[in-house]
Amino acid sequence: MLGYLWLVPLLPLVGFVILVVSQGNLDKRWVPWVGAGSVGLSAALAGWIGYEFLAGPAVSYKLPLWSWARVGDFSADFGLYLDFLSLNMMFVVTGVGFLIHLYSVGFMVDDPGYARFFAYMNLFVAAMLVLVLADNLVFLYLGWEGVGLCSYLLIGFWYDNPENGAAARKAFVMTRVGDTAFIVGLILLFAALGSLDVQTLLHRAPASWRPGSDLAVLAAALLLGGAVGKSAQLPLQTWLPDAMAGPTPISALIHAATMVTAGVYLIARTHALFELAPAVLQAVAVIGAVTLLMAGCSALTQRDIKRILAYSTISQIGYMFLALGVGAYSAAIFHLTTHAYFKALLFLAAGAVIHSYHHEHDIFRMGGLRERLPVAFWSFLIGSAALTALPFTSGYYSKHEILAAAFAAPDGAWLWGAGTLGALLTGLYSFRLVFVAFFGPPNLRASEHLGFAMTVPLVVLGGLAVFGGLFPMPLGSALPRHEVAGFAPSVEVVTEAAPFIGAGLAVAFYLTRTWSPEELVRADWGSALQRLWFNGWGLDWLYGVLLIRPFRWLAEANRGDVLDDVYRAVAYFSRAGHRALAATQTGRLRWYAAGLAGGALLTVAVGILA
Amino acid sequence: MSDFVQVSQLWPLIGYSAAVLVVIGAMLAIPRFLSHERHARYTEEPFESGVVPVGDVRVRLAVQYYPVAIFFVIFDLEAIFIFAWAVAFREAGWLGYLEMLAFIGILLASLVYLWRIGALDWRTRRQRLQDSFLD
Amino acid sequence: MISAVDLIALLPLLILTGTAILAMLAIAIRRNHRLVFLLTVAGLLGALALVPMAANMTPRTVTPLLLVDRYALVFTALALAAGLVVVCLCRSYFGVRADQPEEVYLLILTALLGAGVLAAGRHFASFFLGLETLSVSLFALIAYPYRDERALEAGIKYLVLSGAASGFLVFGMALVYADTGTLEFSALISASSTLTIIIGTILIVAAVSFKLSLVPFHLWTADVYQGAPAPVTAFLATVSKGAVFVLLLRYAVAGGLGQAPALVNVLSLLAALSMLAGNLLALRQDNLKRLLAYSSIAHMGYLLIVLVAGSKVSGSFAAEALLFYLAAYFVTTLAAFGTITVLSPSDREAESLDDYAGLFHSHPWPATVLASALLSLAGIPLTAGFVGKFYLFAAGGLGELWTLLALLVVGSGLGLYYYVRVIFQMAKPSLDIAGKPTAPAPLEAHLVLVVLLVLLFGLGVYPGGVIDLLTMAALR
Repeated sequence: MLGYLWLVPLLPLVGFVILVVSQGNLDKRWVPWVGAGSVGLSAALAGWIGYEFLAGPAVSYKLPLWSWARVGDFSADFGLYLDFLSLNMMFVVTGVGFLIHLYSVGFMVDDPGYARFFAYMNLFVAAMLVLVLADNLVFLYLGWEGVGLCSYLLIGFWYDNPENGAAARKAFVMTRVGDTAFIVGLILLFAALGSLDVQTLLHRAPASWRPGSDLAVLAAALLLGGAVGKSAQLPLQTWLPDAMAGPTPISALIHAATMVTAGVYLIARTHALFELAPAVLQAVAVIGAVTLLMAGCSALTQRDIKRILAYSTISQIGYMFLALGVGAYSAAIFHLTTHAYFKALLFLAAGAVIHSYHHEHDIFRMGGLRERLPVAFWSFLIGSAALTALPFTSGYYSKHEILAAAFAAPDGAWLWGAGTLGALLTGLYSFRLVFVAFFGPPNLRASEHLGFAMTVPLVVLGGLAVFGGLFPMPLGSALPRHEVAGFAPSVEVVTEAAPFIGAGLAVAFYLTRTWSPEELVRADWGSALQRLWFNGWGLDWLYGVLLIRPFRWLAEANRGDVLDDVYRAVAYFSRAGHRALAATQTGRLRWYAAGLAGGALLTVAVGILA
Repeated sequence: MSDFVQVSQLWPLIGYSAAVLVVIGAMLAIPRFLSHERHARYTEEPFESGVVPVGDVRVRLAVQYYPVAIFFVIFDLEAIFIFAWAVAFREAGWLGYLEMLAFIGILLASLVYLWRIGALDWRTRRQRLQDSFLD
Repeated sequence: MISAVDLIALLPLLILTGTAILAMLAIAIRRNHRLVFLLTVAGLLGALALVPMAANMTPRTVTPLLLVDRYALVFTALALAAGLVVVCLCRSYFGVRADQPEEVYLLILTALLGAGVLAAGRHFASFFLGLETLSVSLFALIAYPYRDERALEAGIKYLVLSGAASGFLVFGMALVYADTGTLEFSALISASSTLTIIIGTILIVAAVSFKLSLVPFHLWTADVYQGAPAPVTAFLATVSKGAVFVLLLRYAVAGGLGQAPALVNVLSLLAALSMLAGNLLALRQDNLKRLLAYSSIAHMGYLLIVLVAGSKVSGSFAAEALLFYLAAYFVTTLAAFGTITVLSPSDREAESLDDYAGLFHSHPWPATVLASALLSLAGIPLTAGFVGKFYLFAAGGLGELWTLLALLVVGSGLGLYYYVRVIFQMAKPSLDIAGKPTAPAPLEAHLVLVVLLVLLFGLGVYPGGVIDLLTMAALR
């Protein structure tokens, strides 16, 4: 059965090909069968393979696919690699992916680009599976770029609106910054270690580099650059909130559950390299801690339901980075998995709200939706509880593990402090969203009509968000085990209490209205802080001043374009050369024979003289 | 370089060639001094042993002439191989015999081919057509 | 003495000869286009099938003239396959155009025989015989539609110039013989390179450069490509050039010519000139056949890099690179000329770029094949041409031929311009369908195009299999 692993990424690709080749001429009734069906088959197959793998004794399985080219010393062999880490990712991608596909069947049904949507989604799933299953960094990079392309296509799915196009471009360019670092890192690794096969690399790196050596630090830092771009971490996180311009299932699938966590997966996959560069690992933790706080603060001030969730995603990935940085790789992957459940749930529930409430995004114009949208409400409540990490939800187990690991790390008190403060913020912004949107006087303008296809994923994901934390994947064989001593009781209390404090603050501010948030904002420092947070700490403005404006100025100043003259000269000389040479093609035999003789003379002369 | 002919051995040949050139040169040069040119009615006429020349010098040969000429040259050349083989007949042995058999067989096949496609037929297309009516 | 094993090693060539004679007799007995076609296809398939059997006997020197090794056999198989493609294209093409199309197959068979002899040649005699067998067959093939004055003109031009080039060849051989006293290539490796040998070798290279249409011996190329019937052009562009190149590499490796700096200089010069001039000539060309002719000049220039590098890298790597590039080039070129053949109406050939305006809309299938072929010629990834070019870069890099590689990059840039120009032309909205050529849809020609398209992408996506095959064909 394991030998059929190659079918898992191939099935969605086949779906993509069918949908693309039919060019939208496929009967609309068949589109979901192809689009969601292919991913469903793939998920079922993945489940079967996973069952067999878990039951079997093997800890890893390698399926060579083909050797693309072997020229001289260079060889590019492609294969799939399955261990518990990639198995976990495969489950998430196919399972959550299938649920979101199913949801989209109902959500996108009125859209004229129905087939196009599923085509892109299938391509995305295929590329994402290649990313997680690749045994080779070149192959992984293929998937990496593939998901980036799909992200671009899907953010700009409603391309009629230029703003969506701009958001798609922004996402593409920002992640491209990281991708460039990544590919440079790949080249460096190949040059230094002579292979791009992941397992070979992980064995060779410790053998040829001592910890902290310059090359190891550089390589790890470059890979980190790629991860930071894809996973929307400081300083490249600004694209993710804007990426919410795409349809909501996209936000759930790509920008919450799977693609944005690719950076986390990359670092976990190549953890042996990062262990050789303690400084970079430290940086990973700090980036995670700072990002999770910054994004949490920003989430407090947003009004758009999807933007709140986007900032929350950045913040939660910050937790994962934090865990990676302190060496708790399995905790990071665990949180990745539970996050995929509850964040997909939240996004899909948000989609249900938007779907049922006239495409309204602003939570302050909602209010009182609790009774009219019961499914969405309960989904949101469960999702928020898991996001806040209230006890007995999946998020509780994973986040608790991260905070414990952070505390145990050397000098980890600061990291733990940041994480705990972040947990408080999480409670505050999650329940702010719930209270503002769903409580208050009943709202009569909304009506829920979700249908079977949209309800089932919400229910299943709701179940996973609660119970998903009880069955962590045994990652011990793929990632180094991380023993965590228990907390001191006082610290334990603080850790446990933080989410409740956050949620309690939300109750006080937004449910009972004991305190007024408006009053805070009215103060000078309050409004300044509110503006700063609302605009994502002004990073967009900063990049605008630092990068875009000088670049524009340069473009403006160089309107005539000096460099173009070079190209124009190339074109000019090419044409001149063409004309001159074309003149020699006279069609006269006599002249051709003379050319033959002249050529012979020339070559003999060169041979003798030179 | 013992294979190479020494220049000293070539002297007689060079001397002979030089003598030939001198004789021809002299034969062309002497009349210039002894005779004087006269232009009369028949001086420019070609001299064909007393026969008055008739017609154009540029005769157009029928196109059939050329294929036959080429076939002659080709088969003539092939015959040289047979001569070469005949000289070394005993050394070549049975294998050589078989090879020559194959060679001649191929020649024969091509002759059959040429004959069948009418390449050896010395008639113009119109004549062939007329003949076929006569048959 | 010739033994049974020798005969088995020669079997592919013997089958080819036998088929030619049979075809000749069949024509003599009764003219039947279909019969001769089937006979030829059967013969080619038979010869192809016997190549693996012959490969078990390698390497084997059969008479002093021929060395049958895997290198020769791989190319022979390649040439036979290309011949098969050309034969399939010829059937419909000449079936409607010529009164007596049967001799085309005969000539293709003899030309393939010449190519096979060239591939296995290790002696000046087999070199000359193979080359002339190939060339003489080509004269007749080019001028086959003898009522078309352009074809006739092309044939005469090729005949006269080729004859002149053969003169250089024989003179060069004579000079080398004068100094070494033997006609075997391997004798050169021990001979000290005197001026006589250098001049002789350069004259040989000059003659071969004519066949390969390297600048400055390229002037005939465009006229002949344009005048010759499209399937014949396909044959000329692939088998004829490939065979000569294969021989040239064997000559260079066996003769140890890499050590002679004079020759390396000459080859580098020819490569540089060809890459530049070929691409520049094609730049604004409006006739597709001429465009492909100029592009072939450039491609032969690229391929010379392997030969120059062959002096520095191992002969086996050079052989692998050469054979792979040739395979990719064969597939691509045959696909391009195959499309031209399929698209040509019965009274003329579709060669002007105007014929191709809007082809994607009027004839999507041939347009796809042609576009893929052009992309492969440009060396776009996932096509056969890309992997071929990758080999050239690898060879050039190993041989540290940075100047030539820079010119390769420049040439590829120029190339992209004119290849993509054709694709743009095809993608234009078609304004007038009425004047467009219509394909008479011969089945086997379309089938051939399918196979070529699959191969074109197959070699680009999964070259591993072929590469494994080629590493066994290592030269020495």
